[in-house]
Amino acid sequence: MKGFVIYPERCNGCLTCTLACAAAHSSSGDIIGAMLEKVQSRIKIIAVDGFPVPVKCGHCEEPACVDACMSGAMRKDPATGIVSNEGNEQSCVGCWMCIMACPYGVISQGREVPRTAVKCDGCKGRKGGPACVEACHNGALVLEDLEKAGESRQISQYMKIPAKTG
Amino acid sequence: MSNCSSCNVSCHQSTNQMYARTKEMNITTIFDRYQDQQPQCGFGMQGVCCQLCSHGPCRITPKAPRAICGATADTIVARNLVRLAAHGAAAYSHHLEEVAETIKATALGKTPFKISDEAKLRDVAGALGLDNSKETNQLAGELADAVLNELRKSGREPLALLQAFAPESRKEAWGKLGIIPGGVHSEIRDALTKTMSNINTDPVDLLLTALRLSIATGYMGLVGTVTMQDILLGSPQLSATEADLGAVDPGSVNILAHGHVPLMATAVLQAVQSEEMLKLAKEAGATGIDVHGSMCTGQELMQRQTTTAQGFKSQTGNWLHQEYTVATGAIDLVMMDMNCSIPGLKEVADKFHTKLVSVDRILRMAGVEDCVDYQPEKAAEQAVELVKMAIEAYKKRGNNIFIPKNKSKVITGFGVESILGALGGSLDPLLDAVKSGAIKGIVAVVGCTNNRNGHDSIGVSLMKELIKKDILVINAGCMSSAAQIESLMTPEAAELAGEGLKGVCRALGIPPCLNFGSCVDIGRIGVVVTAIANILGVDPSQLPVAVSAPEYLEQKAVADGIFAVAFGLLTHLGPVPPVTGSPLVTRILTEDVESLTGGKVMVEQDPVKAAVIIESHIVSKRKALGI
Amino acid sequence: MRYVIIGNSAAGISAAETIRRLNPNCSVTIISDEKHPAYSRCLLPDFLAGDIGEDRLRIRSRDFYQDHNIEAILGKKAMGINTETRHVVLENGETVPYNRLLIATGSITTFPPLEGMDSPGVFGLRTLADARNILKAAESARRAVVVGAGLVGLEAAYALYRRGLEVTVVEKAPQIVPQQFDAIASHVLKKDMENEGIRIVLNTGIRGIAGPTIWERLFGKKGKGVLLEDGGRLKCELVVVATGARPNTDIVKNTGIKVNRGIVVNKYMQTSLPDIYAAGDVAETVDIVTGLQSVTPIWPNAMVQGRYAGCNMAGRERKYGGLIGMQNTVEFREVPAIAVGLTQVNADGYQVLSHYRPENNTYKKLVFKDNILKGAVLVGDIANAGVFSALIRNRTDISQIGDRFMEEGFGYGNFLRKAVRGFSAI
Repeated sequence: MKGFVIYPERCNGCLTCTLACAAAHSSSGDIIGAMLEKVQSRIKIIAVDGFPVPVKCGHCEEPACVDACMSGAMRKDPATGIVSNEGNEQSCVGCWMCIMACPYGVISQGREVPRTAVKCDGCKGRKGGPACVEACHNGALVLEDLEKAGESRQISQYMKIPAKTG
Repeated sequence: MSNCSSCNVSCHQSTNQMYARTKEMNITTIFDRYQDQQPQCGFGMQGVCCQLCSHGPCRITPKAPRAICGATADTIVARNLVRLAAHGAAAYSHHLEEVAETIKATALGKTPFKISDEAKLRDVAGALGLDNSKETNQLAGELADAVLNELRKSGREPLALLQAFAPESRKEAWGKLGIIPGGVHSEIRDALTKTMSNINTDPVDLLLTALRLSIATGYMGLVGTVTMQDILLGSPQLSATEADLGAVDPGSVNILAHGHVPLMATAVLQAVQSEEMLKLAKEAGATGIDVHGSMCTGQELMQRQTTTAQGFKSQTGNWLHQEYTVATGAIDLVMMDMNCSIPGLKEVADKFHTKLVSVDRILRMAGVEDCVDYQPEKAAEQAVELVKMAIEAYKKRGNNIFIPKNKSKVITGFGVESILGALGGSLDPLLDAVKSGAIKGIVAVVGCTNNRNGHDSIGVSLMKELIKKDILVINAGCMSSAAQIESLMTPEAAELAGEGLKGVCRALGIPPCLNFGSCVDIGRIGVVVTAIANILGVDPSQLPVAVSAPEYLEQKAVADGIFAVAFGLLTHLGPVPPVTGSPLVTRILTEDVESLTGGKVMVEQDPVKAAVIIESHIVSKRKALGI
Repeated sequence: MRYVIIGNSAAGISAAETIRRLNPNCSVTIISDEKHPAYSRCLLPDFLAGDIGEDRLRIRSRDFYQDHNIEAILGKKAMGINTETRHVVLENGETVPYNRLLIATGSITTFPPLEGMDSPGVFGLRTLADARNILKAAESARRAVVVGAGLVGLEAAYALYRRGLEVTVVEKAPQIVPQQFDAIASHVLKKDMENEGIRIVLNTGIRGIAGPTIWERLFGKKGKGVLLEDGGRLKCELVVVATGARPNTDIVKNTGIKVNRGIVVNKYMQTSLPDIYAAGDVAETVDIVTGLQSVTPIWPNAMVQGRYAGCNMAGRERKYGGLIGMQNTVEFREVPAIAVGLTQVNADGYQVLSHYRPENNTYKKLVFKDNILKGAVLVGDIANAGVFSALIRNRTDISQIGDRFMEEGFGYGNFLRKAVRGFSAI
């Protein structure tokens, strides 16, 4: 199965992925438009000791955010595996329980629509796949066969925190 | 586990206190903005981003090893570097032109200044081939014209100042490389033209261009400016002053002279001496009017506080301190000249009553409406206007004032003349100490301040490491302020030095870190090194000396650094310059150039390691000289 | 195989989904005394405030029961369990046979044993019926008093305020949300609510609730009075009592199932009787922070426990390792706040790091013991809260991290970076 794999040592902090993410979630669809619309990126590049580290949702097997969601908006799509609080019958009310639950800190408070949690939606349905992966020049963000990538390269394996919640 | 480790952002206690204050007041300052900018783009940091044409931005990656036009990382990096150096060269030539124009106006009796160092005027004019027996003012006018001509002449005519002042061995080395520059403006024009998208795309030739441009900067922007300022305002004299915010008196009208060009500030110092201004200040409720120095303008003033800059109160700090100085709430007016007034200053000033005024026609800042652009002929009236503005601002000062208690003593005013004076007319006592090994070598720790590796932390640590190793430190620019605040420019600081240096400092009564002044005074250091090389009959590259810009920041420093390499010196940089994306450029600057000029760049972010490398360089030079 | 689940909220639904996923062909029945399809009790304040309509309370799709082939017996209260014959007895006398039974009856509001608690115009806020009743009463009310400044009380207060009522909150403790947040965080949240216009009276218990006086009734007024311990009286037309809740264990009375505060379960969510499981607010499990067996009555825990119960009931053995009993988020007006685990400690052996910035309403406090994170309070800036939750839940040894915890932006990136530090960075 293919999944998001992060190679932080390849990231040089150019933030192109954050722009591509914003563009993909903007109404204009391009980077300049997204910046005008002030669309927020769903992938974060965090500076640790001066080194950039990409942090994004790994679409866990048993997502803590889904358990925590008390409106039922946050769901894991059984077919695609994508975890998202958008496009479901229930809608997000901004209780921030998912932010409290996510061990990776990759869910944010919505800026454009207040009281809405914002997270990676795997660019579901996007031609060309996830925009961040497509935009990364350095191979720091890739979609890879998780088994081939090796357990140690999967997003969820880094913090000795199993994606499973119990 | 401390509760607020995030407030320890600087090596200076007062800065940390001021930062905590701005945090409490919810004022965003440079340390906050630095954090907000993290992480920074690796393409830019490596210098492989090219934004010159509308095809761009292009950046070099493993996937795309060439830009759309075909440029390689080597081309892009070298081209970007030349543009940085050209910026620095241009800024320095602005400074020199202001000084030369002022001398010209002074020679005609139109300014509040008078020619202060006649001996130097005659020496320099003579060296440049002028008839130096003429009347002082006439000669000064002619020299100013000659220097202005040097700025403006063609690139094909070699610089006269270089011919007059550069060591013969240097001229020979540069001649071989074809990098003896002509008129500065022509050099800048050619460099900028070459760096247009598709004109000069040869990284090696571009680097030679950077060297040539920097040599022009060295002999005009640095040596030329220093010399002309000495002629106009007087050569530095040894004297004592104070540094750090604790020297700011909340009872006074406080004017901050901030920037690099000390002309308007000198006029203001003269203006505040008048009874009329003092009366106005007292009527406003103040006890007096104080002019404080900030950054290099302050360094320029303190060097001359016994002559043309009498009444200078104290030095508040360096580039990174400007917002925090204003945030004391006790600064009434900041007169900003030429470069290094950051846009963030306005935001802080707006939280208080502080008035920001541009005193240079090229300086403009969004939101700053008051511009008293320096004109030599009107300087006296302009100075009075500025003082009156400061008094008006003082009247609006609020009660929210916080001034850290820290202040330190500073010995200032070092230069060739003042050292010769102190040593009884000869450099021999100093050179003997070098020969005997009591002083292992001399390192110029100069240039900007920078938050990348901790504000002033790298610079101050490096200075302490060097003096511990019996290496005499001389400072210029923001690093001078850093040393001053940490009391390294006091004779007592000799206690921190190794036994050899300690002995020399005690015997001569000098600090282990000598204040040579502002960043333009790097030229003054060049003059000293040239003098020592000439006395010993060797090339500068053979001396046990080195240069360090441990916290280099901006474009003038790039030109300075490349000049140091051209001059034949090991040049240490703290922050990694944006060249690492090109293996070729990196290799040339850090290795190959040594065989051409004798100098090279050494990048080391750890001050302890840097000191070790510098020491071993000095030791090897001593060995080669047989001392 | 017949699976029966009593309870139609987080734990029950989560268990039902899990059983169905693991076993497509078995029979699954959900019994609830409430008529509505599964809804979120946590969203009732949003409903009360008028932010969302009733339809948005549903946590699963319209066709959930049908799609999952779940028989839903709604609106019929389960009165007892015959553990011999393995039947659940409903209030109308009907019986529902089971092979395996899950008790997920949640908790119920407790009213203090004081005068006037059962009088008209006095409500708890736990069920949709409660919310509807409050809304109806609010139509003709001008003033409301909320007794208890816990999360439910404050959310009710904020909701009624948004409905246009004058609201006063009375709390016996010296601070609001005393169970979840410490004094500083409570102070920031209190300020946030007061700035909105809600009155909060602290350090004041109540003696009871008085009905309208004879005179008031004579003039057709409905006014009530909340009688305060200090002798005062708060006039109002509507009272919400939010002083506490208890596990709803009534159904297991006389069954012999072991009950402490809640129904005691083991690591497989089994009660003391075979084939009977419990999950959610009604169950007592291990709180990973304290290490003690206790109730952990919050939504996410109910979801997880329901899943574990479902797994084990369906024959896929899965050990429950314990969760953090106390985890809460609030955002009343504009200051979001999160509290996880132990947030107030008096005992020795704990270290506390905290940083309070009153000027921008941010507060961060971390509680440690023996290099293990035990609790976290984040106010204002709640990004990365989940990273702290995970460190607490996993009892991660944090000695390597030092005081970097307090750095702004400390989060998962620090671990990711650490994991690859062996690689050379560009």
